[in-house]
Amino acid sequence: MSLPCGIRNYSYDTDTAIIHTRTQWVMFILFLIALYTMPLYLPRFGLDVINLMGITIVSIVGLNILVGYCGQLSIGHAGFMAVGAYTTAILGNSLGLPFLASLVLSGLSAGLVGLLFGMPSLRVKGFYLAITTIAAQFIIIWIINHWTDVTHGSMGISVEPASIGSFQFDTEAKQFYLIMSVAGLSVLFATNLARSRVGRAFIAVRDNDLAAEVMGINVFSYKLLAFFLGCFFAGIAGSLFAQWRGNITSEDFTFGQSILYIGILIIGGLGTAIGPMLGVIFIRLLEQFVIFLSPMIEQTFSGLPTGFATGLSSLVFGLAMIVFLIFEPRGLAHRWQLFKASYRLWPFSY
Amino acid sequence: MRRRRMTVPLALLLLAALAVSILPGCTPTTPVTAKVIKLGLSIPFTGAAAEKGAPIGQGQLDAFKYINDELGGVEGYTIEPVWYDTNYDAAKATTIVKKIMDDGCSFFTVVASKDMNASKEAANRAGFPGMVCFSSPSLTHPPKHIYAQLPDYGDDWAAFARYYLESIWKGEGKPKMALMLLNNSTGYGVKDAARAAADELGIEIVAVEEHTATTISETDALTRIKDKNPDVLFISSTPAPTAVILKNAYDLKMIPGLTVGCAHASFTKALIDLAGKDVTQGIYGVYPTVNWGDNVPGMAKMMEYCNKRHPEYAGNNDYLIGWASSLINAEIVRQAIKVSGGDALVKGDAAAWALMEKNGFMNVKNYDVEGLHGPVNFSDPVDKRGSKSVKIFQVKDGLLVSQTGWVDAPNILYENLDWFGK
Repeated sequence: MSLPCGIRNYSYDTDTAIIHTRTQWVMFILFLIALYTMPLYLPRFGLDVINLMGITIVSIVGLNILVGYCGQLSIGHAGFMAVGAYTTAILGNSLGLPFLASLVLSGLSAGLVGLLFGMPSLRVKGFYLAITTIAAQFIIIWIINHWTDVTHGSMGISVEPASIGSFQFDTEAKQFYLIMSVAGLSVLFATNLARSRVGRAFIAVRDNDLAAEVMGINVFSYKLLAFFLGCFFAGIAGSLFAQWRGNITSEDFTFGQSILYIGILIIGGLGTAIGPMLGVIFIRLLEQFVIFLSPMIEQTFSGLPTGFATGLSSLVFGLAMIVFLIFEPRGLAHRWQLFKASYRLWPFSY
Repeated sequence: MRRRRMTVPLALLLLAALAVSILPGCTPTTPVTAKVIKLGLSIPFTGAAAEKGAPIGQGQLDAFKYINDELGGVEGYTIEPVWYDTNYDAAKATTIVKKIMDDGCSFFTVVASKDMNASKEAANRAGFPGMVCFSSPSLTHPPKHIYAQLPDYGDDWAAFARYYLESIWKGEGKPKMALMLLNNSTGYGVKDAARAAADELGIEIVAVEEHTATTISETDALTRIKDKNPDVLFISSTPAPTAVILKNAYDLKMIPGLTVGCAHASFTKALIDLAGKDVTQGIYGVYPTVNWGDNVPGMAKMMEYCNKRHPEYAGNNDYLIGWASSLINAEIVRQAIKVSGGDALVKGDAAAWALMEKNGFMNVKNYDVEGLHGPVNFSDPVDKRGSKSVKIFQVKDGLLVSQTGWVDAPNILYENLDWFGK
């Protein structure tokens, strides 16, 4: 673990701490203050975008455990989110379960479905495993579309806003606190997991599963654990998505979304604690930026061919992916590390 | 140094995106003091539905230009369309409707049923009225704050089924019908309508097959359908997959011979362009507007704008739907201004939304849309469909030829059916 210049650890506690210095604590507290006061100055739309970011962070944290730490490529993450979302909707509407219970059960149900589709990981890996997870995506959506007695098919399901006791999270601002709290806990869990025995086993399996097995790691059970945890977070994200949106249909969890999540993780940085957050912030802001930019360009440059400005969205995303894969395959997390290093050493570059 | 070269632009890009797209007061809209009424438009200009979203969106924007430039706005108020591209992405559509609310729009219009499905809950909770061009039963049932410009896909099926029984079917007993449906609300709307009304009409549904928007072959599904020996095939999808289905059916020698009907989402010039004249010859389709070039009052001006500004969409009835949508928007605003006065609507806040719905939407009664499609009536508190009428067309030598006048589609009260949404 990298430490700021002139800092040394003198105890086990300080060695294992995530935040090391007083400056870091101050900056972290300032960040929390800035984050949790956002509802005071952001409009409804801004909060909504940040809520969506928070939900996506929870989902990408799970994908990062699975793909980034354990090296099991999954291209069906949106399908696992759908399991969580529908679990929340069905349990909430039919059984009247409180939100917190259905939140946990959503994670568990998605995790169990993930276990099922993770079983082929014993025999196949890499692109072959990716194909089995694509199958998961399509099978889950097919079931949702056809098990209409439970899922309501194309009608979708309405979901009441989350509530704890008599307190309802029925506005963007209230949802913000719920979603950010869950996102924060998810990031904290994943950060600590990566530094634990389990996390190190995941990394060993990712780097060389044969060598890991020789070292005594039960590769299959760790792969399954990674699938369970990755899909558990997808289920939690799906549950949050359902209550954020207020209604869900299978169209909210498309194969395109699964691809997008992989793209977000690559741009953020695979196998890093901060990568999922940076990737989500970058992509979601870019989306909003392009949504805003297209009408402006169309209105300003009326001579442009039809569809030029509106096609910017696809162009920008494709370009971002190519630029990152060529110039920074380690993602924004690596840039963040470089920035911190140069900041600590400034004005002495080396 | 090399490393920093990329870090700084990335950081700047992130900051710019944050500042422009999220912080308040940065939107390019007009201050609320002007005599301007803002209307939100959520358009899938890009993405899987762009072939329909782009002509409809351009039709909407061109019509607002016509209304402002040539008609002087509505009752002295300029209409400012505030539009965003949804990319046919549900998550984006959800945030866009919030953006439209924040922008001070008095109501909003969504092109695609999928996008409205993603937006409707936020709009219904906030009491923010909206109109959707292409609708499915799930958007307007049960009735809340969402209105449909046109009959929904279920209505297409009901209207075509009636026409088939009255004008085409010559056999005895119940005709056998197969359904080929897109795997979203475009297709499932038809499935719901068939489930609700097939028995009553006297039609036997012998096969229901689904496909994706990106399908490249439906030979398997059509072979299964062929085995059931149907009398008629009904397709509810978008132009590209419908073209694939028709080409496959042609190769399997199912057509010509089998009667084929298409719901309005696919039945445009784009379908004939994609599938070809030979394959589409004799295909029936339902469409909720008059045909391009028909002699109705609003046609000349619409064609003038289309030819001048977007000639690539000439002959595309989706452009016509977009144009008509804006004319209806203007009528809603006109009715609201008459009762509430424009100044009460300019702010685009919750009070303006309520006034717009009560005095605008609910006062639109049999508005003729300059003859471009069936008359629009939003005053019925139960039936939220504006136009209830469709026409049956047939493809003849690459042209859509009208076979009927306006055919009314009954309002199926889905919410009263015990299986709907349960």
